[in-house]
Amino acid sequence: MVAKEEKKKAISRLKSMYPLRAKVDESYQKSVEAMRAGKPAAWAMVNWWQGDPIVKAMDVEVVYPENYGTVCASAGIAESYLDRADADGFPTHLCGYSRNTFGYTSRMIKEFGGEIPPDAPMGGMPKPVLLLSSDAVCDARYKWFQALGRYMGVPLWTLEMPIPGVKELFMEGVYERCINFMVKELREFVAFLERLLGRKMDWSSLDETVNTMIELCRVWHEVNELRKAKPCPMHSRDFWSAMPASLFLLGDVKDSLELYRDMYNEVKYRVDNHIGAIAEEKYRLAFSELPPWHSLGFFDRLAERGWNFVIESWAYHPPIPIDLSGVSDPLERIARLAFQWQVGYFEGAVKEKEYFGYMGYPYLVYAREYKYDGAFLHPLITCRSASTHLKYVQEMLMRKVKVPSIVIEGDIVDLRLFDPADALSKAEPFEETMEHYKKVRKEEGFDW
Amino acid sequence: MVAETKGLARAREIYQDRPRRAKELKAEGRKIVGYLCIYSPSEMMTALDLVPYRIFGDMKEPTTEADRGLPAAFCPIMRSCLHLGLKGRYDFLDGMVVAHSCDAQEKTVHVWECLISPPYFHFLDVPGTVHKASQDYFKEGLKDLKKTLESFAGKELSSEKLKRAIEAHNQQRSLVREMYELRKPDPPLISGTETLQVIKALMSIPVEEGNELLKQVITEVKERKDGPQKKPARLLIWGSTIDDISLIEIIETAEANLVVDDHCGGTRAYWTDVELTEDPIDGLAYHYLVELKCPRTYVDAVYGGTSKDYMADLESRFGYIKDYAKGWNVNGVILQSVRYCDCHGFETPQIKDYLDSLGLPNTYLEHDYSEGALAALRTRVQAFLEMIRL
Repeated sequence: MVAKEEKKKAISRLKSMYPLRAKVDESYQKSVEAMRAGKPAAWAMVNWWQGDPIVKAMDVEVVYPENYGTVCASAGIAESYLDRADADGFPTHLCGYSRNTFGYTSRMIKEFGGEIPPDAPMGGMPKPVLLLSSDAVCDARYKWFQALGRYMGVPLWTLEMPIPGVKELFMEGVYERCINFMVKELREFVAFLERLLGRKMDWSSLDETVNTMIELCRVWHEVNELRKAKPCPMHSRDFWSAMPASLFLLGDVKDSLELYRDMYNEVKYRVDNHIGAIAEEKYRLAFSELPPWHSLGFFDRLAERGWNFVIESWAYHPPIPIDLSGVSDPLERIARLAFQWQVGYFEGAVKEKEYFGYMGYPYLVYAREYKYDGAFLHPLITCRSASTHLKYVQEMLMRKVKVPSIVIEGDIVDLRLFDPADALSKAEPFEETMEHYKKVRKEEGFDW
Repeated sequence: MVAETKGLARAREIYQDRPRRAKELKAEGRKIVGYLCIYSPSEMMTALDLVPYRIFGDMKEPTTEADRGLPAAFCPIMRSCLHLGLKGRYDFLDGMVVAHSCDAQEKTVHVWECLISPPYFHFLDVPGTVHKASQDYFKEGLKDLKKTLESFAGKELSSEKLKRAIEAHNQQRSLVREMYELRKPDPPLISGTETLQVIKALMSIPVEEGNELLKQVITEVKERKDGPQKKPARLLIWGSTIDDISLIEIIETAEANLVVDDHCGGTRAYWTDVELTEDPIDGLAYHYLVELKCPRTYVDAVYGGTSKDYMADLESRFGYIKDYAKGWNVNGVILQSVRYCDCHGFETPQIKDYLDSLGLPNTYLEHDYSEGALAALRTRVQAFLEMIRL
């Protein structure tokens, strides 16, 4: 028992993470209760700050089937939903989150007449009045909601996220054209919501929500900037626990902002006092992409070996802050914030001729700034978007900064595809590799 | 160089050695521009005297080099294309115009640009929706493409030149549709295998040569007496790119004639003309974003509708397949997709629902774009033909 408790302390979790996480969980429960009581509900994809502030301002409760996929995986019920999706004819190679949703929805509609299945974890997802998808990052996220039409006659809106090429972004007029496109689409989305819900947008509420969201993203970015310190004061486990309040805007945005500020103060204190997230930081690592939600204890075992995870995937981080105070239209502020996330690293990428400017290149920037010794790459068998770039990242990190990668395959939902014991058996050899490349970097003049 | 062979023989010859003609043209001073799928507007390249050349994979070759840039659990067609690129098989290309059709392609081309670095490379973003704002955005993206193409070609692309190129490509579309008409009789006058050879040849040579080839093929097919034999099943094949005749031969050596298709190695690039608008880029934008049929695009039955009717949704997305089935007297449909194709994978249960509603027997075949998959596919095709035995 004592040994077990000592193992739990291998990662020193941030105290400020717990109230933030509790607020997120509490808000989810409140949303489900409100929806059960008849309040309009939406199922939404992560939309990188485009749709969430708008539906919040329209007083629509939102649940996220992607998130719910992790809940079902952690609760051990995902397999039954995956099997059901297979039986309904969906190919098994499709996104695990989507197949979980198909299985869940099939059961909800066909067995329970639209009511939440009684064994659904965390209160389930009530039948929505709106499906909100986004074409950012992956095709699955709108094809999946389109396919839900098989089960539910629910209207669907797809948010647009333009993705120009790295070079093409810097052609005359392209940046502003992308913003204009996004603003037009958002305006159409607001009009659609007003028709759907039979009420008008509360623009002052939206204005306030957007301002709070921008500040929240800035503070959250600053928290992560502090992790460049040695030893790194905050482990990826805390990042993942805290990220839903930013990435999905889960919870009350004002409350979340205050809790992120508390987190900043705690992390700053650790930096000032040289307190690391693990007892003895021997190796600094980046993690990509989504973690094995069902096996997070795996990181404790690595922490015992001195592995500190100091940075994660670009996709889940807030945008590099930009000054939006001069932009009066809240929809334009939304567009500029979201687009900054999408292309915020393109300027460096084009200079370095690294044309995978959003999902790939940021790892190179992080390597230099966070000075990590190795990249833990976690390709997901049913998530192409979170896996496609990893080979390239591996190649680029070695070519540009002599940082090695370890590749451990897994999945976001299907826990059978991740073997923690096998992964741990590769830790020692990878430590030798990281030691070797520390010497190589030194010989080649790198400063870490 | 004047081709010694004509018609179907010429198409077969090009199919078997696609780069040969492109390399001849390059030796004559023409610039060859590669593209990966049908969302890159060939008309613009043609208008600047560039030769559009479609990059295909090779299902007969293991994709070992692709591991340098792409994961194993990934679109095998894109892996094959990148593999060939890294092996230097596309080194004769002077440049590339690539479009954000699906995400697999979008991500592959970024890797391609980094690892292979063609002298000219333009990435064309394509919105996921067809809203008016999306059309406007896409049109401006085409104007950007025009600028970089002009710079690459060293000449200006006038509206008149572009209109002439659109006319030439529309003529090709019209001739392809005429060729498909020859598959309506029972037995069809031209096989699916021959059709694929012709289509793949068209995507390897300048449009004028392609149009001449099509005229030869149509004349030859109308006159010949040794076309395909009558068979009980008349099938439509749908799905991800088919660029190798092996899969078609499996069907046509069984008790079936493949009479029409819906994939981007067949009808998809040719079924509607580009409207000749005053500003020709308007017509191109509408055609490439709205009219091309590929599951990569999200289409609403009613734009911004606040209610949803599943059958109306299916009709708006797949109604053209009903027209194919009626027009070509189809009595069975093979749905096929490479593994890890999200766009077609999500679509499959829905198109099955639609075909079931029409009473059209159908089956779904998934494969990994390799020769090794063919034996299993043969068994599945035979089982399907047994099932629909007429």
